[in-house]
Amino acid sequence: MTDNPTPHPLEIRSATAIPASAIASARGLVKTYGRGDTAVQALAAVDVDFTRGELTAIMGPSGSGKSTLLHCMAGLDTITSGTVTIDGEDVGRMNQRQLTKLRRTRLGFIFQAFNLVPTLTAAENITLPLDIARRPVDRAHFDQVVAAVGLESRLHHRPSELSGGQQQRVACARALVAKPAVIFADEPTGNLDSRAATELLGFLRRSVDDLGQSVVMVTHDPRTATYAHRVLFLADGGLVGELVNPTQASVLEVLGSLDAAPTADNGNADNDADDSAMLLPVRV
Amino acid sequence: MRRVALRGIRAHLVRFVLSVLAVALGVAFVAGTFSLRTMMSSTFSGIVDSTLLGDAYVRGAEPALGRSMTGTTGETRNTVPAGLADRIATVRGVDQAFAEISGPIVLVGKDGTAVQSTQSPSFGVALYPDDATVTIASGRAPNGPTEIGLESATLTSSGLSVGDRTQVVVAGEIRTVQITGKISMGTALAGATIVYLDVATATAIYAPDGMVSTIAVYAHPDVTETSLVANLAPVLSRDQTAVAEALTGDAMRAEARTDIEAQLGFVQAFMLVFAGISLFVGAFIISNTFSMLVRQRTREFALLRAVGASPTQVFASILTQAAVVGLLGSALGIAGGLGLVSLLRIGFDQVGMDLSGSIPLDAPTVIVSLLVGTVVAVVAAALPARRAALTAPVEAMRETTATERSLLVRTIVGGVLTTLGAAGLVVALLAPDSDGSALVGVGAGLLALGTLLLAPFLVRHCLGVLAAVFVAAVRPLGRLARANVARNPRRTANTASALMVGMALVGAASVLAASATVSTRAIVDDGWTSDFSIRSTTGVPVGAVADIRALDTVGAMDVLAYGPTVVVGPGERAGTQDASFAVGIPAEAFGRTIDLDVVEGSLDTLANGAVAVKAATAKERGWSLGDTVTFASRAGAVSASARVGAIIDSNLVSVPIVMSDRLLAQVVPPGQVTIEFLLVNAAPDVTAATLRADLVKAVGPYVVLSVSDKGDFADDLAGQVNQILVILYALLGLSIIIAILGIVNTLALSVIERTREIGLMRAVGLGRLQLAGIITIESVLTALFGTVVGIVLGVAVAAVMPTVFNGVGLTTLAIPWAQLAGMLVLAVVVGVLAALWPASRAARLPVLDAVASD
Ligand SMILES: Nc1ncnc2c1ncn2[C@@H]1O[C@H](COP(=O)(O)OP(=O)(O)O)[C@@H](O)[C@H]1O
Ligand SMILES: [Mg+2]
Repeated sequence: MTDNPTPHPLEIRSATAIPASAIASARGLVKTYGRGDTAVQALAAVDVDFTRGELTAIMGPSGSGKSTLLHCMAGLDTITSGTVTIDGEDVGRMNQRQLTKLRRTRLGFIFQAFNLVPTLTAAENITLPLDIARRPVDRAHFDQVVAAVGLESRLHHRPSELSGGQQQRVACARALVAKPAVIFADEPTGNLDSRAATELLGFLRRSVDDLGQSVVMVTHDPRTATYAHRVLFLADGGLVGELVNPTQASVLEVLGSLDAAPTADNGNADNDADDSAMLLPVRV
Repeated sequence: MRRVALRGIRAHLVRFVLSVLAVALGVAFVAGTFSLRTMMSSTFSGIVDSTLLGDAYVRGAEPALGRSMTGTTGETRNTVPAGLADRIATVRGVDQAFAEISGPIVLVGKDGTAVQSTQSPSFGVALYPDDATVTIASGRAPNGPTEIGLESATLTSSGLSVGDRTQVVVAGEIRTVQITGKISMGTALAGATIVYLDVATATAIYAPDGMVSTIAVYAHPDVTETSLVANLAPVLSRDQTAVAEALTGDAMRAEARTDIEAQLGFVQAFMLVFAGISLFVGAFIISNTFSMLVRQRTREFALLRAVGASPTQVFASILTQAAVVGLLGSALGIAGGLGLVSLLRIGFDQVGMDLSGSIPLDAPTVIVSLLVGTVVAVVAAALPARRAALTAPVEAMRETTATERSLLVRTIVGGVLTTLGAAGLVVALLAPDSDGSALVGVGAGLLALGTLLLAPFLVRHCLGVLAAVFVAAVRPLGRLARANVARNPRRTANTASALMVGMALVGAASVLAASATVSTRAIVDDGWTSDFSIRSTTGVPVGAVADIRALDTVGAMDVLAYGPTVVVGPGERAGTQDASFAVGIPAEAFGRTIDLDVVEGSLDTLANGAVAVKAATAKERGWSLGDTVTFASRAGAVSASARVGAIIDSNLVSVPIVMSDRLLAQVVPPGQVTIEFLLVNAAPDVTAATLRADLVKAVGPYVVLSVSDKGDFADDLAGQVNQILVILYALLGLSIIIAILGIVNTLALSVIERTREIGLMRAVGLGRLQLAGIITIESVLTALFGTVVGIVLGVAVAAVMPTVFNGVGLTTLAIPWAQLAGMLVLAVVVGVLAALWPASRAARLPVLDAVASD
């Protein structure tokens, strides 16, 4: 690409330094699954910054690469090219041992399901990352987090004795208790009814507002996205739009325009560039 | 649906392979045990069939004194004249008749030591030139007192070749002889040493009075065994020189087989119990796997239901898979079991036991094994399959952790069996008059089964104690591992069952061995006052007695000899008793080289012709001090009578009656006296070391004689006890291999089952090594659990034995702590080994696959 005579907007951007406000960033992040004929490019040269102390939502159609982006950011998956930085550390260059340590101490996770170890009680699940890291549990913080998610009376229950919403709140508490640099959540409310989802989202947002936590959350639900400070839109493995202080209406509008936009099968990066050129101005 | 079933197998190849492996393991355990049993009994009946080839046998009609060539301890009979054979040969229908002349002999091998293996007899046999049952493979038949022939296996193990010169110890003396031929009997003899002598030599040695125990009769072709006996009977009844009877070859062989079975009874019964338990263990391993498999695939089945499959179809598809897996696994398992037995046979071969070459695979073994594998697989799959088939599709699609079947029934049945078994042991312990050994046997069996059934309950409630060490030492891995092991108590218990059985056996055996050793030492310390004893397993040659008496360094020497006799007590009718053994001890020996604990009376009376009776015998027969007993043959001919002059309680002497050497010479014919011990004291001013050196030099040429002081003697006995344990170690080896593979299997399946959970833990920061650590601790905990329960079980059963079997010399209970600790270490090693593959497999799972797997 560097021999392309006309500078490309994305390339200009990828050359930009990481802003100090970013807790996690990617530059030129490419992820390709498989090789040869069956190769699928899940992420096509993504540049993104997640702001410290913000709740960022990632949206996009199914298969657009949301989960992949999250996994690559979190060091759960290897990247094909580009760089990923978390809190100033280059994730892409880490070996397995370093990645394990990173996940253990700097990152928190909430998955859509199977978040908890069935043999452990809620309390044990919450302190699991600290136990694994053999770090002492900060009792005051623990109590604060548990109180915030409203699990005081459920601490000694096993996951099988908890409702889906309670299980996700345990997962939340676990992600928070180690005071990670950033929490990654992949459709954390995907399996919940709307009341449980509301509770969980309110809690996530408060953790950002009150505790200064940074959270990145994948969702396909516009209502969920309204809890975020900022929404990033993905399509075909590329970043195609961004909304600050989203409302349900503005999110739906962007999603609608995404559906309407023709998606070409070739020249992915170029198309992404055109798309982003078209959509990026959509700021509210 | 069949296509779905078969695809299911293909799609989950690892699971499929593991489940086939589980069935194969269970079946291998069963097939291995059964065919080991078959092999042992076929070897021994093979010996009977090939050594007793006669169509009929003539032997003493009167059960009395004598010892048969096979060394069986069955009833003994009067002897018949060897010359009777010539007369029998002329009877109608008889082709040939040979007096069977044989007795003990010691053969010196190429390395200068005796050719013998520990368990098997060594005997010299008269070789009749026209005997068709043996063939001369090379060389020629022995001729004269300085020539011998050797049976081919004996020749091989001696390291000698035809034409070599060597020595034999026979008739109390050392002879230099030449090997003239290799003689073949065409059968494996389980290590027996056989030396052929010419008829005149054998007669001079073993039948100096012309009397033998049996005459083998061979019929003309077309004459049946029964008609042969019918022809012989009138001839024998007319003959006044002998009280003889004829019986068919089949009857004789059946008798011999029964004798051997009786002798091997302990081992046989033991193997049968082990095989029974192995059935259980096998069934456990198999059902374990299937309930795991079906559980893992519940969602897949639910999907099938959702797209329209009926419960019956789902059920049938699971059972089809189970049947395929069961059949395949069983076939592999039978092969595996045979492989294990072949390995064991090689092991036995190394220690000199030549077990028969016949393939140890009979129809019952194959059928039982196939049935066990297939039926257990299908039945084990049926329960979870029924559940999977009946679960409403929506319900199964939702992620609910399957609820564990209740342990209630299993625990109740286990509790009842355990209680009954324990009660049996307690009764045996408290009521010495009851049939102790039967109670112990049944009690131990029930206890073992009960414990196997109770094991899941124990996992749930007692595992914490074992795990406490790991929980405290390896945080937080120990706690995670403990939770995983306790998560499914049934699975853990079933996985540990093979090890449990093996460790119970060895635990019990090692306690028994230690107790026997300690008891022997105590007995020896108590009653043995001589400096040295000299003995061999086959008796002390008379030549050696004279040689040692002639040594200057010997101060005093006492000869302990024993022989068979029939004792008739007061009020007992002559002719109703079995022969028993009596030991003759010179009166001077008491207090000088040997001490016996006297309960009543005095050993001084022995010098005046009285006898001492062991307390247990006196109680059983109702004799008391001062009673007169007579020594007789069963026909009633009285050879002597004596007063009971002392009641003794000593385990140093294992025979019921002690008398002076003079009286023994009177009641036991000279040919039947065996010198068991020479007890030797040093002359004044001679050190023990000097005396030992002299003794060792003097007995050297007799090859099989050993010189021991108290310590050596006790060690020797301990060594013998340990040899009996070898077979137990073989079974332990079997159960350890099965246990390792069983744990590997369970862990590997459990890793598959826990893929998501593992991914989750890795995502929140669990390192690969830590993950491997968790799985290793799980494995070690499982192995330790089986081992601890097994050891407790084994030790409990063994602890009862010294009290119950006090009469046979097991007086003290000793628990070999070091050895038991060693078994625990072994368990840890087993656990670590078993964890290697599953742990590295789990550690290599990519985190994301784990998180994303469905
Ligand atoms: N392990 C994988 N192997 C091959 N292709 C994959 C894999 N994971 C995701 N993909 C592909 O990458 C693209 C993005 O997937 P994903 O990130 O899961 O999308 P989203 O989470 O936005 O629905 C999709 O086309 C998907 O098929
Ligand atoms: Mg996704």
